[in-house]
Amino acid sequence: MTQSTYPGGTEKPPGSLIYRGAEADILQGTWVGRPAIFKVRKPLPYRLPELDSGIRRQRTAHEATIMHSARKAGVQVPWLYRVDMPGTTLVMEHVYGERLKERVGDSAESSRLFRALGQDVARLHAAGITHGDITTANVIVRRKELVLIDFGLASRSSRLEDRAVDLRLIKETLVGAHARVATRAFEALLEGYSVEAGGREAEAAVTQLRSIERRGRYARVT
Amino acid sequence: MSTYILGVESTAHTFSVSVVSSDGRILSNEKSIYKPAAGRGIHPFEASQHHLALAGTVLERAIRESGVGEEDLSAVAYAMGPGLGPCLRVGAVVARTLASSLAVPLVPVNHAVGHIELGCLLTGARDPVVLLVSGGHTMVIAYSGGRWRILGEGLDLTLGQLLDQFGRHAGLASPCGAAVEAAASKSSSYHRLPYSVKGNDVSFSGLLTAAKEKLDAGVSFESVSFSIQETAFAMVTEVTERALAFTGKSELMVVGGVAANARLAGMMTTMAARHSARANLAPVSYSGDCGAQIAWTGSLAFASGVQVPVSDADVRQSWRLDTVDIPWRN
Ligand SMILES: Nc1ncnc2c1ncn2[C@@H]1O[C@H](COP(=O)(O)OP(=O)(O)O)[C@@H](O)[C@H]1O
Ligand SMILES: [Mg+2]
Repeated sequence: MTQSTYPGGTEKPPGSLIYRGAEADILQGTWVGRPAIFKVRKPLPYRLPELDSGIRRQRTAHEATIMHSARKAGVQVPWLYRVDMPGTTLVMEHVYGERLKERVGDSAESSRLFRALGQDVARLHAAGITHGDITTANVIVRRKELVLIDFGLASRSSRLEDRAVDLRLIKETLVGAHARVATRAFEALLEGYSVEAGGREAEAAVTQLRSIERRGRYARVT
Repeated sequence: MSTYILGVESTAHTFSVSVVSSDGRILSNEKSIYKPAAGRGIHPFEASQHHLALAGTVLERAIRESGVGEEDLSAVAYAMGPGLGPCLRVGAVVARTLASSLAVPLVPVNHAVGHIELGCLLTGARDPVVLLVSGGHTMVIAYSGGRWRILGEGLDLTLGQLLDQFGRHAGLASPCGAAVEAAASKSSSYHRLPYSVKGNDVSFSGLLTAAKEKLDAGVSFESVSFSIQETAFAMVTEVTERALAFTGKSELMVVGGVAANARLAGMMTTMAARHSARANLAPVSYSGDCGAQIAWTGSLAFASGVQVPVSDADVRQSWRLDTVDIPWRN
């Protein structure tokens, strides 16, 4: 395979940088005439190259296949247009909307969104997928619907432990970044989760979540 | 006019006493560190015996060194938690005794808040994303809505425990951070180890097991030290970077014992530059546990009216950072 001139394999620079995340640059451009997002995993200068290139390739490949599975599981994700492995770049549909982060509040609408998110998470879990990074920045609200993004840390697992870790992450983001409404939002999310997954599954996941919290939170000096 | 606060730290290995002034001068910071035998971890009871034996001497030196008379102290602060029960209780006893004999208020301080606030004092950081890495903590933290909030943390071992347990497996005496760093700097041969980032959290247990196996298989201590540092530090740098991107804050700060590691500092500085953020690194001499973190935070808390009656001044072994109100930052 030849190295593409620009990320995404385009002949021209793909577009303008709209976001610099922890592991990727997000550029806005066009792909075959359509508005597109280029998610470019550039080398991280602090990470040893031997370690870095493996992680970037693995996450790029992974994100692509899991986006596909997530869609099949009935969860909305951006359409994937192209996977450029040498450039560790994904080209995907530009989803227009606001991030959930900007919509979090104590409104009924906010609760509705979290219920919907809980349903999506349960759908992923039922399909054997854990997202691995569900933050309010990784959910886009398009009109009234949710679109999930950023599947680089996702994994295929049906283990209760991994499902609980997924839920814990959401809780952590809520408590850490949206403390005022965290309880209400998380409750709404669990409600949605339980509607989709069934009460027993939801309860098992919550019990496991508690046990993880006891393990991690109070790490002691030994 | 400035007031003077004395602080007592005794959450784990270190027994330390410091006197600070309310305008942020550290007038003394005396300490004595318990060292378990080679290959062994901290034994809480032995550590507490060490603290008890040295408490009087350390206290006396800290007061003498500060040049402040006992009668000029406005309050006594102590680390109420989190930490090891037996060790915490020594600090609490010393603080209670001193406060009641001087008839001054007693101020409870959360040890983790202590690391953060002292870091801010020493580096000038105002509103940073904080990486707290030590034997007791691996946490990514940011202030919002009256408290220091935890954005990410270690799911099993702390970063300090990882380095210590690895070093002990190689026969070193705890704490092993400095020895592992020295060994790592002599190698550049990387052996693949599990890199485990789960959202904003990190897990080190698989990494520890694999590193021990490499040692047992005959890979040199230098190479495994290098590999463990490169892997573990990249993991914590990545989750800190996530928090920086997520919060949009423009300052970064690294505190806690492992902040003394130059390679970690280098990674954090490089990462901060990508986001045009300022990297604040706690000075090495203050990165580990010390009385100054308690005295300084005690001073801030005391000025905001935080006190505890002597009768209620016990210890809280699992006092979680995000349950502590921080009135002085409002
Ligand atoms: N397909 C997309 N459509 C619209 N915006 C997107 C899309 N993908 C990413 N973004 C924006 O870029 C940000 C970062 O993308 P993300 O995939 O989460 O990368 P990172 O791993 O760096 O967090 C998102 O929070 C979102 O605002
Ligand atoms: Mg993201």
